[in-house]
Amino acid sequence: MTPRLSFRDEIKRNKLKSVILISVIFIFLIILGYIISLILDPSYFFIIMIISIVFSLSYVLISYYNSDRIAIASVRAKPAERIKHAKFFRAAENMALASGLPMPKLFVMDSYEINAFASGRDPKNSVICVTTGALEKLNKEELEGVIAHEMSHIANYDIRFMTLATVLIGMISIAAQIFLRSLWFSSMSGRGRDGRVQILLIVLGIVFAILAPIAAHLVSFAISRKREFVADATGVQLTRYPQGLASALKKIKHGHVSQKEKHKYSKAMAPLFISDPFKKKFKGIFSTHPDIDERIRRLEMM
Amino acid sequence: MAMMWALIGLLIFLVIIFIYYFNRLVVLSNGIDNSLSQIDVQLRKRADLVPNLLNSVKGYMKHEKKIIKEVTDARKALLGAKTIEKKAKAGSQLESALKSVFALAEGYPQLRANENFLQLQNELSAIEDKVAYSRQFYNDSILRYNDTCRTFPGAFFARIYGKTSKPYLEIPKEARAVPKVEF
Repeated sequence: MTPRLSFRDEIKRNKLKSVILISVIFIFLIILGYIISLILDPSYFFIIMIISIVFSLSYVLISYYNSDRIAIASVRAKPAERIKHAKFFRAAENMALASGLPMPKLFVMDSYEINAFASGRDPKNSVICVTTGALEKLNKEELEGVIAHEMSHIANYDIRFMTLATVLIGMISIAAQIFLRSLWFSSMSGRGRDGRVQILLIVLGIVFAILAPIAAHLVSFAISRKREFVADATGVQLTRYPQGLASALKKIKHGHVSQKEKHKYSKAMAPLFISDPFKKKFKGIFSTHPDIDERIRRLEMM
Repeated sequence: MAMMWALIGLLIFLVIIFIYYFNRLVVLSNGIDNSLSQIDVQLRKRADLVPNLLNSVKGYMKHEKKIIKEVTDARKALLGAKTIEKKAKAGSQLESALKSVFALAEGYPQLRANENFLQLQNELSAIEDKVAYSRQFYNDSILRYNDTCRTFPGAFFARIYGKTSKPYLEIPKEARAVPKVEF
């Protein structure tokens, strides 16, 4: 058992992981630029590198500094209103006081299902979003439990790492798209090109087709199932009431996302939520969240 | 020569360690001060709402002079208190006096239908939560500070810098009791 409120190790680990992730992005880009220059002409190497670095740097910076807004926009959430969502504000203010963190910006997304997520780059620039379903169906203790869980993700910098991981996935899938399209066009008008280029493009396309889903799973591992347990445990340190979150998870378990609602959630966002909106009957090593029964069991043992 | 470099290295290392622990103790004790002011803010907010509450209650609870006096006294004590212990104590007294007011209000259907009263009741119960949570965070900050002050190597540096562990904020016993209400 970790000592009470010791976020420091978690924070260190997450900051280190974030640095590694950024390095991976850059190494990946340099290799990419090198391969492209090999295909075209080695003398273009520096120009291509400069372009790709400028492009990727601006992509990373823009998405990093706007991550909270992007996450909020992708689920079409609206800012919470102090009077209409008084319960939400009250629970969030309580948890901000209990954790000593600045108050995050609050958002509400329209969904019948009970769910919540946190995003942002650091505690000062963080958001918590809950579904209207959660506000309707959870009582005060349950809502506080859920928000405390999200606050823990904010406090130990899970949100920053998640943001960077999502940015990386986004970049790889953009690159994959570009390559697959260029493959398509080059086969359409392949007359003027030499065979070597064609083969390299095909190989690259295949490599990306393999890389993209692997990268998508990186996100799943990023907030691994263990991290959810950590957030559950630290969340309970804020509320001092494990039954609150346990009973919220029970309510989540009994509700399910209808097919109609699923389109509201973007797949890349799944690991951010307190419970996986895409949960399937079979749970494998690739699930983004631990078994909900196991989480409830652990909470009830606290 | 190598010996000298090793000594210089050691010296730099020691200086860094000393600075690190000094800063760590300062950061932790600032955290305590900050959480203290959070409690203060909440207690003050509660004290500020009390006159409004008494105004809305006055017309209905004419015969409950004793409880009204308890509330005003506790509020005065809270506003006059200088140390955190006294503030916390007066705060708990006010809290239990307010609980009695709300318990008594159950016997006044007209009051329970009063919009203004209900809103104040709601706000005061929200503040009660906040007082509890900020007090919890205060004690958590103390715990972190004390852990550093008492465990090695923090204990060594705490002694050098003359920092001693701090007491927790206890809830007074009388405040924990559920208020008695006689109709």
